[in-house]
Amino acid sequence: MTSNHTASISTRLTLLNMLVSGVALLLACAGFFTYDQITFRQSLIRTLSAQAQIVGSNSVSAILFNDPQAASGTLSALQSSPNISAAGIFARDGRPLAQYSRNAGEEIRNIPQLDGEKREGYWFRDGSVILIRRIVSEGKPIGFVYLRASLAEIDRRLKRYALIAIGVLLVSLIAANAVSSTFRRSVAQPIIQLAEAAQRFSRDKNYAMRVSPPAEQNEMAVLVNSFNEMLSELQKSHEELEQRVAERTRELVSSNRELEAFSYSVSHDLRGPLDAINGFSYLLMQKLGSETDGQKRELLENIRASSRKMTGLIDDLLNLSRVTSTAMLSETVDLSGIARSIMEELRLSSPDRKVVFTAPGRVDVVGDARLLRILMDNLLRNAWKYTSHHDRALIEFEMTQEGDRTVYSVKDDGSGFDPKAADRLFQPFQRLHSAAEFPGSGVGLATVQRIVRRHGGEVWATGEIEKGATFYFTINSARGYAR
Amino acid sequence: MRLPTERWQLRCVGVATVILSCALLCAQTAKPSESQVEAAYLYNFGKFVTWPSDRVNTSEEFTICVLGKDPFGPVLDETVNGEQIDGKNVRIHRISRVQEIRPCNILFVSSSEEERMPAIIAEAQRTHVLTVSDMPHFAERGGTIGLVNHNDRIRFEVNRVRAEACHLGLSSELLKVAVRVIGGKPAGN
Repeated sequence: MTSNHTASISTRLTLLNMLVSGVALLLACAGFFTYDQITFRQSLIRTLSAQAQIVGSNSVSAILFNDPQAASGTLSALQSSPNISAAGIFARDGRPLAQYSRNAGEEIRNIPQLDGEKREGYWFRDGSVILIRRIVSEGKPIGFVYLRASLAEIDRRLKRYALIAIGVLLVSLIAANAVSSTFRRSVAQPIIQLAEAAQRFSRDKNYAMRVSPPAEQNEMAVLVNSFNEMLSELQKSHEELEQRVAERTRELVSSNRELEAFSYSVSHDLRGPLDAINGFSYLLMQKLGSETDGQKRELLENIRASSRKMTGLIDDLLNLSRVTSTAMLSETVDLSGIARSIMEELRLSSPDRKVVFTAPGRVDVVGDARLLRILMDNLLRNAWKYTSHHDRALIEFEMTQEGDRTVYSVKDDGSGFDPKAADRLFQPFQRLHSAAEFPGSGVGLATVQRIVRRHGGEVWATGEIEKGATFYFTINSARGYAR
Repeated sequence: MRLPTERWQLRCVGVATVILSCALLCAQTAKPSESQVEAAYLYNFGKFVTWPSDRVNTSEEFTICVLGKDPFGPVLDETVNGEQIDGKNVRIHRISRVQEIRPCNILFVSSSEEERMPAIIAEAQRTHVLTVSDMPHFAERGGTIGLVNHNDRIRFEVNRVRAEACHLGLSSELLKVAVRVIGGKPAGN
């Protein structure tokens, strides 16, 4: 990416240089060539005209005394002019007196028609120029000279010009390259450095890095300095932000700790009077002994049930706060084994229930054994509880692979829940069923969620009313347990 | 003067060809007579000869004289009609006596005057007159320019020695086209 930018900027600069110099050179060459063509033709015509004049004045007597031999002699002098391919001396009536051609096949074939007395002029045709000039004696035309010159010299000049142009073009392209490399050092290089720095910054988030400004004090230096200033501003505000976050976190942690300490102590302190109520109501029960006053007994039983319920609630609260506050260990734990032992306890507590439980032989995860046991206990106890209205129940503990993560699940075929309320499931003290239907404090799933989060995992549930529920969780042992 | 289109050029070439062939045909069919050629030569010699300055200044006309029996008839007058030499009108003068040659620039000596040759030569040398004749061996016999028939064409011989004796300057152009120059052709062509 970076090298592409480098290439594009410097290549474009080089191309621009070359294009400009190339176009200028070609235009200049075209101009010079045109000028040269014009002047060359003019000088060619002048030379031919002078030669025709000389030939003409040297052949006056030959015409007047009708001497073709003398005329041929005059024309043969043209052998020293290599550009003249054919020549002729004609009498006034057009009768040829003498003709000359440098090479065979270049003879005079046709003579341009001349208007009346004028009989002078030049014509460019078929790569040659034809010039005709009168021969005058005593102010009267007595004949004319015909000269034809090859324009091959113009072609040769064109070729020479093209060669020179190509040569100069090559040199100027090399020069353009050299210039653009200087330019690259002074302009493109700082831009490239800046671009690379910006890229490095957005990749590494290294607020401390700076770009070294170019030596010259120009716009590039301003740009680089502004970039550096921007970086320091960013660094400053980033540091401020970090500091503020750290402060807030500290405040939050301390207030959280206070809150947890408060709730722990409240729960703990509440237990004392509750234990007293429990104990004294038990003693009162004993005192009543065999007294068969059903009403008193029932009232006492109510007191005892309520206090037991409150004890459970307080225990759950204490568990919840322990889950979040206690330090975590990292060890290999067999979730399957834990699940089986919990299921044993549950079976013993109500031996008349017919529940089928399945689990894989061994499911090892890395985490805190005590917390993971609480996790499994809550999920399995939930499943046990919400299948209690059914004669037969099936509870399954499973492990499945979803992509690169392992998902554990506890599935039951109990009374399920309304999927619309799924997001309320894991909030503490939120209950989807009445206490009369299914007893509970509403803290269990909140505890589950906390444990899973402390293990760096996620928890979610699917279910439908009367069609069972499945609770899924993941354990990210790579980062979760280390906290 | 550049021809604007190729069609034009083609037409020109056609017209030129017609004119050229016509001219060649005319030259063949109506070949100029011997006296016509001699008359033209007589006049043209005037263009290549320079006379002593006193002669040039005194005369206002360029005079061509015919001494003796005139072989040209009206041809000579037709040839020089309206022509000029050195800016002077050309006049034809027919004379019968040697003493009359003084105003002449060019003197054509008719073959009828063969016997009077020595007198004519002497007088011409004295009065700086260019003598021309078609009588045989004229140049060898003291004339300046002798017209001869050479390969069926009228040509001329020049006697440079005589020309110098008459104080006449002969252009090298003239010597170039002469069939023979008595006294030697100038060096070169």
